[in-house]
Amino acid sequence: MTATTTTSLAAQMRDGYKDYGTGEMAVRALDGVSVDIARSEFTAIMGPSGSGKSTLLHTLAGLDRLTAGESSISDIVITTLSEAQVTEVRRNNIGFVFQSFNLIPSLTARENITLPIDIAGDKVDKEWFDEIIGILGLADRLTHLPAELSGGQQQRVAVARALVSRPEIIFADEPSGNLDSRSGAELLGFMRRAVKEFGQTIVMVTHDPTAASYADRILFLEDGKIVDEMRDPSAEKVLDRMKQMGH
Amino acid sequence: MFRLAIKSIKHSPKRLILTAVAVALGVSLVAATQIFTNSLSSGFSDLFSDTYSSIDVVVEADPNSDVLFSPDEEPLSDADLAAVQATDGVADAYGVVITQGALVAPDAASNQPGPPTFVQNWNGNADIDTGAIAEGTAPTGPGDVVLDADTFASGYALGDTVKIAGSEGSSEYTLVGSVELTSGTSLGAKFAWMSTDDVHAFNSDIPGYSTISVIADEDANVDDVAAAIGEELPEGTRAITGEDKAAESVEAVQSVVQYVDIFSIAFALISLFVGAYIIVNTFRIIVTQRTREFGLLRAVGVTGQQVRRMILLEALVVGIVASTIGLIMGYVLALGITAIAKLAVGDIFGVLTLPPDAIAWAYGLGLLVTMASAIAPAIHASRISPMEALRESATESKKPLHTRNIVGSAMAIIGIGTVFLGLFGDFDKPYIYVGVGAVLLVLGMSLLAAQFLVPIAFGLRGVLTRLFKVDGKLAANNIRREPRRSANTAAALMIGVMLLALVATFTESLKTTVTAQFDSTSADYFVIDTAGTGIPDSAIDLVTNTDGVDEVARVGVGPIQYDGADSRIAVIDVEASTDLMTFETDPDITEVGDGTYIGQAIQDQGVEVGDTVTLTGGGSTMDVEVTGLFNDENGGDFNVDWATGEEILGDVVVAQLLVSADPGTDVEALQTTLSDELAAEYPTVLVQSPGELAQFANQFIDLLLGVISALLGSALVIAILGVANTLLLSVTERTREIGLLRAVGLRKRSVWRMVTLESMVMAIFGAILGMLLGLGLGSALVLALADFGFDGVTVPWIWLGIYTVLAAIAGVVAAIWPAWRASKLDILKAIATE
Repeated sequence: MTATTTTSLAAQMRDGYKDYGTGEMAVRALDGVSVDIARSEFTAIMGPSGSGKSTLLHTLAGLDRLTAGESSISDIVITTLSEAQVTEVRRNNIGFVFQSFNLIPSLTARENITLPIDIAGDKVDKEWFDEIIGILGLADRLTHLPAELSGGQQQRVAVARALVSRPEIIFADEPSGNLDSRSGAELLGFMRRAVKEFGQTIVMVTHDPTAASYADRILFLEDGKIVDEMRDPSAEKVLDRMKQMGH
Repeated sequence: MFRLAIKSIKHSPKRLILTAVAVALGVSLVAATQIFTNSLSSGFSDLFSDTYSSIDVVVEADPNSDVLFSPDEEPLSDADLAAVQATDGVADAYGVVITQGALVAPDAASNQPGPPTFVQNWNGNADIDTGAIAEGTAPTGPGDVVLDADTFASGYALGDTVKIAGSEGSSEYTLVGSVELTSGTSLGAKFAWMSTDDVHAFNSDIPGYSTISVIADEDANVDDVAAAIGEELPEGTRAITGEDKAAESVEAVQSVVQYVDIFSIAFALISLFVGAYIIVNTFRIIVTQRTREFGLLRAVGVTGQQVRRMILLEALVVGIVASTIGLIMGYVLALGITAIAKLAVGDIFGVLTLPPDAIAWAYGLGLLVTMASAIAPAIHASRISPMEALRESATESKKPLHTRNIVGSAMAIIGIGTVFLGLFGDFDKPYIYVGVGAVLLVLGMSLLAAQFLVPIAFGLRGVLTRLFKVDGKLAANNIRREPRRSANTAAALMIGVMLLALVATFTESLKTTVTAQFDSTSADYFVIDTAGTGIPDSAIDLVTNTDGVDEVARVGVGPIQYDGADSRIAVIDVEASTDLMTFETDPDITEVGDGTYIGQAIQDQGVEVGDTVTLTGGGSTMDVEVTGLFNDENGGDFNVDWATGEEILGDVVVAQLLVSADPGTDVEALQTTLSDELAAEYPTVLVQSPGELAQFANQFIDLLLGVISALLGSALVIAILGVANTLLLSVTERTREIGLLRAVGLRKRSVWRMVTLESMVMAIFGAILGMLLGLGLGSALVLALADFGFDGVTVPWIWLGIYTVLAAIAGVVAAIWPAWRASKLDILKAIATE
């Protein structure tokens, strides 16, 4: 955790462009995006499929590179870093929760949770670990392999893994996409608690208005551009906004 | 179905590349040998039909006769030559006498072993002499000699003095010419021609001829001429037409070449056996990866049988492609071997063709091994239920290993039992039992390896985690995850290493035994003959009369006939030998008298002490009483005192001398003196200390180990390809997992290290299993051969260490491609939702 930064931003992007392919086949996925992700905020990115929301998440998280523009995590500009350096930034400053296949099948729940810390070769903060496990209700599932866990439990393990190293920022890509509504609501509730109680920064991509309503702030993306922003959303407000966008 | 199979191969050919290469490697070995030996025999056929084309009848010692000729007589006399000459239909008859010597190089300072020199009489007929004068003149006068052109060109000039060492010391001749051999090649040997009288003088004044070559009248029937000559000949000789002689010679060569074929096919089969493991693994993994595809096919109405047929068709296509590549590789390999062989022995090869044998073997073995290996995975695929198409992820079913363990244990135990039965039982063809048992044991161990791997990987997990952190932990997990797959991969390497360890155990034990033997002697020197003509009597006198020499004991050998079969007799200076050497006999060798001590082979025939045996040698046929047992592997089938030996053999060829120095003599100085004195007249006779001789013998044992190791090389390469193959397929299978690891911060280097560790653990595990098995089987073999003098098992620690290190290196190498693939993986594609 890089707590000594001077800015209050966990991540930002300036004039981000991302093109796929070249020539006539070229597709512009991001078209001059500038965003600021404030600390301790739960941000949701919404938009129709093909709007570039996943690309935005990937480029912000250093999984993919911008064609032009600049993005940074905390005060580290990652667009100019080498692949190995970006990997290190990801390891030290970022947590991930994906829609599916979040866990290494051969590792137990505990090992999956501590994976980023193990990779970094750091010590696990026992108290913090126990606190997260307690909140997420995973205490009696730690020795199980992913195959022995339900979908909801698997996603909670993924959230625990993202939280355990107290990263600067957590990126979540449709984390509740594969869950039934009850497990999904539970999971999003945990994520919201992490923001409120521990000041964790989370950026989540979703197309589900209900999921988005857990966020503090929603960015609407269309054709690679940020077209709108909403604070303190409710599911109804989001639905209305999306209807305007032609859904 | 066929189109679907082809499409499937075309769709992702990469996953079949290494499999095809493995099959092709094995096939290429077979093909190369077949092509090479075919060319070799056709070359020899040409050579022999050329050699005998102008000679109508050959008169020679009958190889099928019971009559043996003593070393001091030639089978045919001047009278025989005259009789042949006088036979109806004979135009010309030439007596040929060939003996062996050693050409002493002009600059030879001391005793140097080299290739043999054949000393032959000059007849003045190019067909008989097998060559014609190229430079200078024919050797007509006494003391004249001509050399083959290759030898001549190696540093001789007309008029030089040429020294040739024979069984009675060295003689000097004047070089008058050089001879171009008709065949164009000397096959690495040296040839010298001189007058008939000179050859006789060189060969201890033994008159007569080795063979007589006959040229018949033009209108004569050669078969009739041969028959007519046959009536004139002494017992033990025969007349055969040149054509028949050529055919016989070709047959003799072919029967030798056949052993080369059998030998290399055996090694190729080992390679293909190893390759089979890879094929099984590949198809098993492919079937797993395509579970959903097969489920879908089943759902839309394809029958299980059709799925099975589709997999087998894929195997067939892979087999055909791989066999074809193997055949081509084999041809190229044969070209290479031939080119190298040409440098060594000259051009004795026929045109390199693609014989039907090679094609049949290549496709036969290639297709058989591919198809047979694909059967089990194909059956597995045919049983995939349509429901599988709907499942979330494709993983190998976590079937428990019970059945595998039971079958594996049963096979291993029966295998061990059969090996021991073969080694220690009393059967006709014990090697069949040993071979079958070894195969069963290997298969059983391969099955059991899956069970061993789980706990071992788990045990290693802690160590690997401590040493390599997460990379190590993940590597250990991956091995444990698919125990069957990892076990098959390790087992492929196990087979190769097992054979290496077996051979190493055997040869190291042999070396210990040999060394111990030379240690048990109280002789200070062994005098040995490197030319194969025996140590001349005059050389023995020279040694005996040298100051400081105490005792000299001769050891002689000779061929005899016993019970209608060829046998060997060892002749010992009993009195002198017992002071210098300890023989394992019962009773003591001094009790032999004028009887014989029989060796292991004869004892096995049921001959006992007190029996009388009839021995026929070049000297006489004698009834000899068996007075004892000779349990030393150094002995002959029959072992007699010198007097008895001379009576049976006529003249005993002295193979070696045991020499002791007077007490208080400087042993090393005396060796130098002896060497120097022998060097001048007897350059082929060497004086060696027991240590040197042991080293000399051990060199040959090392060479044996080296040759077999090299031949096992292809099996090992295939096994390493197997490790790479499994990893490559596993990495593909784990694309998403690796993507996730990369996303949460695992570096490329770590991914590389993870794959490498996995590879190394599998390789080392396979090697250790192989070494344990090889050590076990090797020890059993050595113990079974205890009768032949093995003192005990020597564990080849150094080799085992080397094999372990090599296995680790092989693991690193095998991981290169898969690790590269894994580390350059596109994270986004890997984690993208389907």
